[in-house]
Amino acid sequence: MKKCEITLTVNGEQLTTMVAANQTLLEVLRENLGMTETKYGCGTGECGACTVLLDGTKPILSCLTLAAAMDGRHITTAAGLARDGQLHPVQQAFVDESGIQCGFCTPGMVMKTVGILARTPNPSDEEIRHGLEGNICRCTGYAKIVSSVKRAAELMADQSAAE
Amino acid sequence: MSSRVLPDFELLMPKDLGEGLQLLSRHGSDVAIMAGGTDVLVMMKANYRSPYVMSLAGIGGLDHLDWAPETGLRVGALTTVDQIEQSGAVKQHYRALWQAATLFATPQIRNSATVIGNLLRASPAGDCSCAVLALGGTVVLESVDGRREVAIDDFWLDYNLTARRPDEIAVELRLPPPGKGTGSAFRRLTRTHEDLAKLNASARLDVDGKICRTARLAMGCVGPTTQRLPKCEAILVGKAIDEALLKTLDDVIQSEIAPIDDKRSTAEYRRAVAGVLLRRTISQALAD
Ligand SMILES: Cc1cc2nc3c(=O)[nH]c(=O)nc-3n(C[C@H](O)[C@H](O)[C@H](O)COP(=O)(O)OP(=O)(O)OC[C@H]3O[C@@H](n4cnc5c(N)ncnc54)[C@H](O)[C@@H]3O)c2cc1C
Repeated sequence: MKKCEITLTVNGEQLTTMVAANQTLLEVLRENLGMTETKYGCGTGECGACTVLLDGTKPILSCLTLAAAMDGRHITTAAGLARDGQLHPVQQAFVDESGIQCGFCTPGMVMKTVGILARTPNPSDEEIRHGLEGNICRCTGYAKIVSSVKRAAELMADQSAAE
Repeated sequence: MSSRVLPDFELLMPKDLGEGLQLLSRHGSDVAIMAGGTDVLVMMKANYRSPYVMSLAGIGGLDHLDWAPETGLRVGALTTVDQIEQSGAVKQHYRALWQAATLFATPQIRNSATVIGNLLRASPAGDCSCAVLALGGTVVLESVDGRREVAIDDFWLDYNLTARRPDEIAVELRLPPPGKGTGSAFRRLTRTHEDLAKLNASARLDVDGKICRTARLAMGCVGPTTQRLPKCEAILVGKAIDEALLKTLDDVIQSEIAPIDDKRSTAEYRRAVAGVLLRRTISQALAD
């Protein structure tokens, strides 16, 4: 099959790679670029494990996105959140609140949380639960994930107050 | 069962609309057009095959959402369901479409899925489709030979079949401006919020004083396409809508729908709740 060269900016770094027309963004991240933090769950848009951010704040499903159509775009994965060895407040909040059990859904949950807080910096429980729709967790029962999102909102508010 | 890997196809990435239309005039029925891809890619991971996939992503100027009181709403081919949800104008003037957008799928899907893709998928479960049928409007189709407009009432021919010719791109959806007494609403029943509708309904009512002047009622998951309910509409027109009148719809709707058993519901259940969903949707439109 015909391949084409695309350039993606992933976590701030410009990367050029050859992709086949039928490769999804998820496959290119994991297989071409070796960035395995983004997970393959269902492959059909139901579970949210493959969530990445487009243009810094917009959660999309990398399993339902053709890589070739993303040429020139900015993508953020869970590995792109930490700065200078410091966890991102959202990551720290998931650790603090034990919002992680087996961890498979966590990269998607974390990316989704960044997306929720970009739009609603101080969300209600209702807004958090509505925002988390599309990310499935089979371990936690969600209560600890909801408190992680709440904690993340606090940490981010503290951080911007300090700046 | 879905496969992990997409089948082979040739990807067409036109840089402008003219190039896209040229490609379609050449390859026509061998092309699957892709907007957000949330239907096309899922279908290709199952058993759908197409020699060419044409992504609209590289075509500029297709993601507009313009509202004006005289002309109404214009929704571009790449305008997403999320854009609809975020629009104050849609929330105010086209409540049914806004409600469909807020209930639609998940945030990630809403960020990619387009309203026009929902219409073109021609699924009887389409949520934006149901709202658009109640609101009324036209789909603008363009080919190298020019543009034409098809009324939404004539747009769906059968399950997964529309009035679009293989050489045409749907470039815009146009919704008429609401009148002074226009109200609309959308509701759906689902097993979980993320699932497709078991049943959805939408209503647009033009009310003058207490009297209903026109009514457009739409329901999905009760036949091969999303459909109007003309007998129920006729009952409302010219009358003041009250609980007693609404109750009469429960029987009338039975002769207008032909639901099937599938994995989301039984036909029996759909028949049992169709009247209830319709009544609630109408009441909600009256309150808009
Ligand atoms: C997990 C999940 C949940 C979903 N939940 C819902 C839901 O709650 N409600 C609902 O209604 N739908 C739902 N869907 C279905 C889907 O997201 C919608 O139908 C969506 O609106 C399709 O838009 P798209 O831009 O992704 O379309 P695409 O997949 O790009 O295209 C859909 C169809 O339209 C055609 N098409 C698209 N654009 C054009 C154009 N401009 N001209 C001509 N043809 C065109 C394509 O060829 C294809 O046949 C869901 C899908 C998934 C995967």
